Amino acid sequence: MPDSAPKRTRETLIHLKDESIRRIMAGEKAVERSFHEARLVATLAAGLLLVGFLLVAQWRGNATLQNSLDRQSDQNLAIIIQQLTTENSSLRNEIMALEVRIITAERDTLDRSEVLNQATRELNGLRVIAALEPATGPGVVVRISDPERVLLAQDFVTLIHELRSGGAEAISVNGKRVGSNSGFSGEGTRIVLDGTILARDFEVRAIGNAQSLDQSLTLPGGLKSTLSTFPGVTVEIEQVEEIALPAMKTPEFAYGEPFEE
Amino acid sequence: MMVLVLALTLGITLGLLTNIMVPAAVLTYLGVSVLAAIDACLGGVRASLERTFDDKVFVSGFITNTLMAAFIVFVGDRIGVRELYLAAVVAFGIRLFDNLSTVRRLLFRRWGWE
Repeated sequence: MPDSAPKRTRETLIHLKDESIRRIMAGEKAVERSFHEARLVATLAAGLLLVGFLLVAQWRGNATLQNSLDRQSDQNLAIIIQQLTTENSSLRNEIMALEVRIITAERDTLDRSEVLNQATRELNGLRVIAALEPATGPGVVVRISDPERVLLAQDFVTLIHELRSGGAEAISVNGKRVGSNSGFSGEGTRIVLDGTILARDFEVRAIGNAQSLDQSLTLPGGLKSTLSTFPGVTVEIEQVEEIALPAMKTPEFAYGEPFEE
Repeated sequence: MMVLVLALTLGITLGLLTNIMVPAAVLTYLGVSVLAAIDACLGGVRASLERTFDDKVFVSGFITNTLMAAFIVFVGDRIGVRELYLAAVVAFGIRLFDNLSTVRRLLFRRWGWE
């Protein structure tokens, strides 16, 4: 069969060609389909991506909005307003109470400082009177010269007494402060103040109202005129704006003790 | 399927990273729009499982549904029927669950659990 062989070969070839064309076309189709599918999936994926994004955005926004006042119901807003009003008024009350406390405290402080000032003044006065501190102020200077040595210790006791009666707060004789426990004594013609012999030219200084001190000494029949009758004794009284007296030597306390009744 | 899950995760991550702030006025509209978008995506998944997915239908459906949802809320606001958004929510909600159950069933069939 010389004839059939080539024919069959041709048929086979045609068949093979068809087959290969079909295969190529199928492949192309498959590729196309897969491309198409990929596109579909990509579209869907893009949609889902957008959904996820929007979901988060909405979630976030809503969370913040939920807390804002815009979103609250009227009832809630009324409650909030009421709460705020109550809180406000209670805070205002607190402010007022605190202000009252401030005023009270300020008054207390004033009172206390007033009391303290008073106490300080009193203490200073007491220190001056007790002769524990140097003192300064207006007063008189009494100069007595006694060249004949006729004055006695008693005369000085009287002088000090007169000055104190005239309101003297502090007194010194010849630069020695006269305190509450000072004493004059006489040994012969010498006059001794707290163990110190006084020179015969006496200078007595007294702090107080200068005018009344002066008057207490210069009254008719007062000490000045009495002393002036002694032979050789001269008394000069000078009112001064400011004199300074030294402190007394602090006495040693041995026996007395204060006690409260 | 993995691609879709990945895309969703990516979207959420992107949203978290960009720290986007939606204006309060848009928020009400966007809420329903998001619901519509979720519904559209679920519909797309279902269609792709049924091998009837068409990207033109999906994209047009996605856009139209989201815009319409927002529009309905807007109209409801304007005409004094604020509850109109409920219509959109109910409609999309029902469709969403419907799609979800279909997707579930289709997935079971595909994995041979049925």
